[in-house]
Amino acid sequence: MAIQLTTPISEAAAEALQVGDTVEISGYILCGRDAVLPKVLKMIEDGTAGELGVDLRGQVIFHTAVSPAGVGPTSSNKLEIESSISPLSAAGIKLHLGKGALHQETIEALDKYNAVYAVIPPVTALLEAKTTERKVLAFPELGMEALHLIKVDKYPAIIGAAHGRSIYD
Amino acid sequence: MTENYEAIVAKVADTLVSAGSTFRDDKKDAYRRAIAAEQNPQAKWVLETVLENAEAAEKNRSPLCDDSGIPHLVLEVGEDRAVTGKLLDAIREGVATGLRQLPGRPMGIMGDDSHRIDQSGGLNPDSAGVEPSPILLRRCENNVLRLHILMFGGGPAIRGKTYRVFHKHNTQVVLEEIVSWAKQSVSELGCSPCTLAVGVGRSHFEAASLMLQAQVDGNYNVQSEMEREITRRVNEADIGPLGLHGNTSVLATFMKVGPQRASGVRIVSLRPTCCFEPRIATVEL
Repeated sequence: MAIQLTTPISEAAAEALQVGDTVEISGYILCGRDAVLPKVLKMIEDGTAGELGVDLRGQVIFHTAVSPAGVGPTSSNKLEIESSISPLSAAGIKLHLGKGALHQETIEALDKYNAVYAVIPPVTALLEAKTTERKVLAFPELGMEALHLIKVDKYPAIIGAAHGRSIYD
Repeated sequence: MTENYEAIVAKVADTLVSAGSTFRDDKKDAYRRAIAAEQNPQAKWVLETVLENAEAAEKNRSPLCDDSGIPHLVLEVGEDRAVTGKLLDAIREGVATGLRQLPGRPMGIMGDDSHRIDQSGGLNPDSAGVEPSPILLRRCENNVLRLHILMFGGGPAIRGKTYRVFHKHNTQVVLEEIVSWAKQSVSELGCSPCTLAVGVGRSHFEAASLMLQAQVDGNYNVQSEMEREITRRVNEADIGPLGLHGNTSVLATFMKVGPQRASGVRIVSLRPTCCFEPRIATVEL
């Protein structure tokens, strides 16, 4: 039986997640990858993240582009993406959604901020039916790589890293 | 040709949509066998979800993956058939039409050479802004023009490798190197189970060309001894679907060995194609 997670995810709900748990994620979630995540980090550093119009606390960030072809995870261990996980967790993101093994220091940073990493299969055709809204939040000049906000219903995933442990070990 | 032009455009467009949205029957068979044999519950769940996704994509004629891929084309030419510039134009227009119909991800990069390298020229918002790779031509036995369209995603391109192997006059040395590369690349891919596409040739160009043709000619239900050995040995690494462990890291290996030179070196090209690849469809024009 999959654990139901609805955004914003509470500290207690994040704390309860364990490596190997299957989850279904619902609600509004953020989407961003290589091009936009460094720009979001810069906004956080500059104290301008409030201009996004979304409270990052309890949020999910899905490592994907958003295009007419749909959504699907890119590799979370790409340099710009993986390096965003620790500072975004510090800013309140509770769940990073993508695919691929992460480095140990990233797994430890997730644990430090009571955040988790979940692996989602690249099942674009199935996810399309579970995605009900999508809009660009920031950096529209990046096209499909802009920061998007989408509304999802029961995205399937497996917890890949939590409490200092990784499913890839 | 003029009156046939639009018909060819339509056929190519429809074939591209099929390539991006449909599993061939032998691939579905391979998934069903893997699901039945897989003991790891998380691995089994991933395999079932990927097959369910394929069924949904086929029904909707929609992309299997949001990385809808770069079109790679193989054109087979029969005895009396001619390849004209007009035919190539029709194929190119058909690819563009198909990319809009799928729809393909608009990921063509605009700008001059430098802009296209550093991606500072922006993205073309048109799905058809993704240009196909150069067409590979080869002779075929039947007196037809047969076009194969393959959609190549970015993940396997990151983890693929074309390099020399000193064979030491022993086939096992080359197989050992292929298995070693494959274990590394499959573990990094994140979109397993893979189908390993392998070409062995005399130059980088030839080896990559053979790797492409291996995907055209490969069949999950017909595996050579060398292909079975590579698959078995990589699966022993316990990487599993999406890297979550299990017996199914690789569904099959498609290997094509070309002519070789009198030398101690072989050029090997390996592409660890992802759980949806080879995304391929074929049409007679």
